[in-house]
Amino acid sequence: MRKGIVQLVAIGVVIGVAVALVAVLFQWLPESASEEFDRIQDIYWLATWMSVVIFAIVAAVVVYSVWKWRVPPDDDAEGPPIHGHTGLEIAWTAVPAILVIALGIVSAVVLSKNGDTKDDALQVRAIGQQFAWKFEYPELGEFSTGELVLPVDQQAHFTMEAVDVIHSFWVPNLGQKMDAVPGIETTINVTPNRTGDFAVVCTELCGLGHATMRARARVVTQAEFDEWIEEQQT
Amino acid sequence: MTATHHEQDAHQYPAHFEPPHGSTWNTFFGPGLVRGAWMTGAGFLIGMLLVLALRWWWGWEPLWNTEVILVVGAMVLAPIGFLAGIGSFDYWLHYISGRPTQPEDHSGHGAKTWKDYFRVNTDHKVIGIQYLVTTFTFFTIAGLMAMFFRAELAQPGLQFVDSQTFNGLVSVHATLMIFLFIIPAFAGLANFAVPLMLGAPDMAFPRLNALSFWLLPIAGLMFISSFLAPGGAFGAGWTGYAPLAEGQPLGQTFFNMGVQWAGASSIMTALNFLVTIITMRAPGMTFWRMPLLVWANFTTSLLVVLATPFIAGSQFFVMFDRVMHTSFFVPEGGGYVLGYQHIFWFYSHPAVYIMMLPGFGIVSEVISSMSRKPIFGYRLMALSLLGILVLGFSVWAHHMFVAGMADWLRVPMMITTLLIAIPTGIKIFSWIATLWRGRIHLTTPMLFALGFVTMFVIGGLSGIYLGSVPIDIAASDTYFIVAHIHYVLFGGSVFTIYAGVYYWFPKMTGRMYSETLGKWHFWLTFLSFNATFFPMHYVGLRGMPRRVFDYDEAFGNMNLFISIASFVLGASFVLFVYNMITSWQRGPVAEANPWRARTLEWQVSSPPPIFNFDEIPQVVGGPYEYGVPGARHAILTPTKDAQKEAEEVHA
Repeated sequence: MRKGIVQLVAIGVVIGVAVALVAVLFQWLPESASEEFDRIQDIYWLATWMSVVIFAIVAAVVVYSVWKWRVPPDDDAEGPPIHGHTGLEIAWTAVPAILVIALGIVSAVVLSKNGDTKDDALQVRAIGQQFAWKFEYPELGEFSTGELVLPVDQQAHFTMEAVDVIHSFWVPNLGQKMDAVPGIETTINVTPNRTGDFAVVCTELCGLGHATMRARARVVTQAEFDEWIEEQQT
Repeated sequence: MTATHHEQDAHQYPAHFEPPHGSTWNTFFGPGLVRGAWMTGAGFLIGMLLVLALRWWWGWEPLWNTEVILVVGAMVLAPIGFLAGIGSFDYWLHYISGRPTQPEDHSGHGAKTWKDYFRVNTDHKVIGIQYLVTTFTFFTIAGLMAMFFRAELAQPGLQFVDSQTFNGLVSVHATLMIFLFIIPAFAGLANFAVPLMLGAPDMAFPRLNALSFWLLPIAGLMFISSFLAPGGAFGAGWTGYAPLAEGQPLGQTFFNMGVQWAGASSIMTALNFLVTIITMRAPGMTFWRMPLLVWANFTTSLLVVLATPFIAGSQFFVMFDRVMHTSFFVPEGGGYVLGYQHIFWFYSHPAVYIMMLPGFGIVSEVISSMSRKPIFGYRLMALSLLGILVLGFSVWAHHMFVAGMADWLRVPMMITTLLIAIPTGIKIFSWIATLWRGRIHLTTPMLFALGFVTMFVIGGLSGIYLGSVPIDIAASDTYFIVAHIHYVLFGGSVFTIYAGVYYWFPKMTGRMYSETLGKWHFWLTFLSFNATFFPMHYVGLRGMPRRVFDYDEAFGNMNLFISIASFVLGASFVLFVYNMITSWQRGPVAEANPWRARTLEWQVSSPPPIFNFDEIPQVVGGPYEYGVPGARHAILTPTKDAQKEAEEVHA
C-alpha cells in the first residue's frame, strides 16, 4: 500500500510539473500596462496554482487507478464494497470550500480596489456606435476623437454609452472591460502604468462589422498628453 | 354499472383497430406523414388568411406583412397542423368530442420495422431512439456548420462567406447544439433508460411523451430554415441579446419562435419525468434506492420546469418588440436593455446544469458498473445534485459581470458561483474514489466517462477563473469563454452522451457495437478535442474576442492550427456514425446484461420486452451493491421467452 501511495504521488508530481510548465512557459496573458491589470494578474496566478494542483490530483488518481486496477474483459470478480468514507467526504467538501472562499475574498478586494475612483481621475467618455468608437474628454474641451489617448500613471474614469446596440470596450493590455449599453451609463477605471500603443477591441457582438470595430489606444507621458490635448482644442 | 359498460365498450374493438375505410382514404386522412404534410400546408394557409382578413378588417397597411404572416402561419399554425396531421392529438380529440377513443391496442408500442420510427409512437423505448437519431442528425448539421466557420477562421479576413452568413452560422451552430442536441439527446437517453430503471412499463404519460418528441424536429427545421429567410439566418448569437436582435433581419423571428417549440418540448418531457419518477417507481424503489441517473433526471426536470418559461418569455418579448412594436427592451420607449439579459440568463444559466446533470447521472452508472464497485458516497452524490439545483438559480448574473448591471450584485453572484464548485467537486472526487481499488474494465463507455471526468475538471477550473469577477472582466466575451463552454459542453456533456449511447447501445438494439472502432473514436475525439479547444484559452486571453470573422494577424497561426484540429474532430465523428449504423445492422447479438450491471434495465432482455417487465419487479436494495455478498437490487423473474424471441428475430 505504501508503495502504491508513493507511485500515486510520483504520477501526481509528474502531471503537476507538466501542467505547471504549460502554465509558465507560454505567455498566456498579454503584458500588463495598467495597475488594474497587475492586480487581476495576481488573482489569475492564484487561480492557476490552485488549478494545477487540483487537476494534478484528479488526473493522477485516474491514471494510477487505470494503470493499477485495469482487468481483462473476461474478469468477472468484483471490487471491494466500499460505500463511502465520512472523513474523506467531509475533507473534499471543506477544502474546496475554503479554497474558493479564499479566492472569492481576494477577488472582492481586487474588485473593490479597481473600482475605487480617485477625485482627480481624468474623465473620459467612450461612445460605441456601429462600428466605431468615439472618445470625449468633457473636462478638457468640446472635441471627440477616434483614437484613445491616455496619460501614463494617471487614473482615467471611463463613462460608456451606446448609440444603437450593446458594445463592449476592451483594451487587452489594460485588462479592464465594460459594456456600453443603450439607455444607461456604465463606468470603469483604468490607470495605465506603461506607455505604448494598444488595441481597443469591441467584444460584444454588435452586428455585421463587429469584427472590425477596433480603435487605437495610446498611453503617453503627461507632457505628450497635454500637447495632444492642446492640438485637439484648436 | 357504468364502469362495466365502459369495460364492455372497450372490448368490442378488435386488438388491431382499423378505421372502416379503404387504404387510399387512410393514407390521406389517417394519422401519418402524408396527412401531416397536407395539414402543415393547411395550417399555414389558415394562418395567412387569418392575418390577411384581420388586417383588411382593421384597414392596416400594407395588407401583406411577411413577418406577421410567417409568425402566425408558418411558425404557429403550420406546426400545429403538422402535429395534428401525424396524429399527436387523435386520442385526445376523440376523447374531448365524445367519440369512441381507440382502446389501447398497443399498436403504438414497439417498432417492428424502421418505418415505425416515423410514426407517432407511444413506447418510451421507441421514443428514446427517435430522440437519439433525430438529435444526432442535428448534431451532424451543427457540426458541419462549425467546420464551415472554422474554415473561414483559418485565416484572418473574409474568405468564404459574408459577415451576416458568418454570424448566422455561429448562431445557428450554438442554437442547434444546445436546443436540438445536448438537451434532447439527454432526454432521449433518459426516455429509454429511466422507466426501465424504475421498474415501470412506460412513462407516466406516453402520448404526451410522443408529442414532446415531435415538437423537436419542428424547432430544428425552424432554426435551419432561417438561412432561407430574406436577410439570412439570425445572427445575434444564440444569446440573441436585445437590442441587436430587434434590429436583425427576418431570420431572428425563426429563433424567437423555434425556442418556443423546443422549450415546450423540454417542459412537457420534464413534467413527464417528474410524474414518472414520483409515481411509477416499482415496489420497494425508495428515493434512496434510485439509480443516480434517475436522480439526475429528477433534478434536471425540476430545473427545466422552473427555468424554461423564462427563456420563452424573453424570446416572446423580443418578438413582440419586433412584430408588435412594443418596447420591452427599446430604451427610447422606456424599455430596459439589461432586463433581457437578466431574464435570458435566469433560464440559460440553469440550462447549463440542464445540459450537465443528466451527464453526471450517466457517468455515475458507467463508472460504478465498469469499476465493479458501489458508487462512492451515494447519498452525498444525490444531495450534491440537489445542491447544484438550488445554487444554480442564484448565479445567473455571473454572465453579466461586464454588462453594466448594478455593482453590488457582482460580489454575491461571484460567491454563489464559486460555491457551486463544492457540490461539483464532491461529484468529481466521488467518481475517482469509485475507481480506487476497483476492477476496471476499460470499455468504450468507460473511456468516455474517464475522458469526461478529466476534461470536465478543466472546464470547471476555467469556470473558477471566470467566477472571479476581476478575471472575468479581462476574459469575458473572448475566446477564453469559447474554450470554457466547449470544455464544459463538449468535454462534459457530449462525452457523457457518447458514454451513454455506447453503454445502452446493446440494450437499445440488442446488438453489440465494435469495441475497436469505439476506442479509435474515443482517442481521436479526445486528442483532437483538446487540440481544438485548449489553444482557444490562449488566443482569448491574448486578445481575440469571440464571434468575429476577422482577427489580429498575430493569431493567424494559432487559428490555422485550431481549424485543422477541428477538422480531425469532425472526422472522428464519422467513425462513430459508421460504428453505430453497421453494428445496429449486423453487430453480434448482445446479451441481456453485457456489463453485469445491477440496475433494472439490465435484468430484462436486450432489447427489452414491449412492456419492459413480465412481472413487476420487487426492489430490495441499492442499485450499486457490487462486491457485497448476497446483495440484490431487485427480485424479478427473468424474461426468458422475450430473450429467446429476440434471439430468433436476430437469427
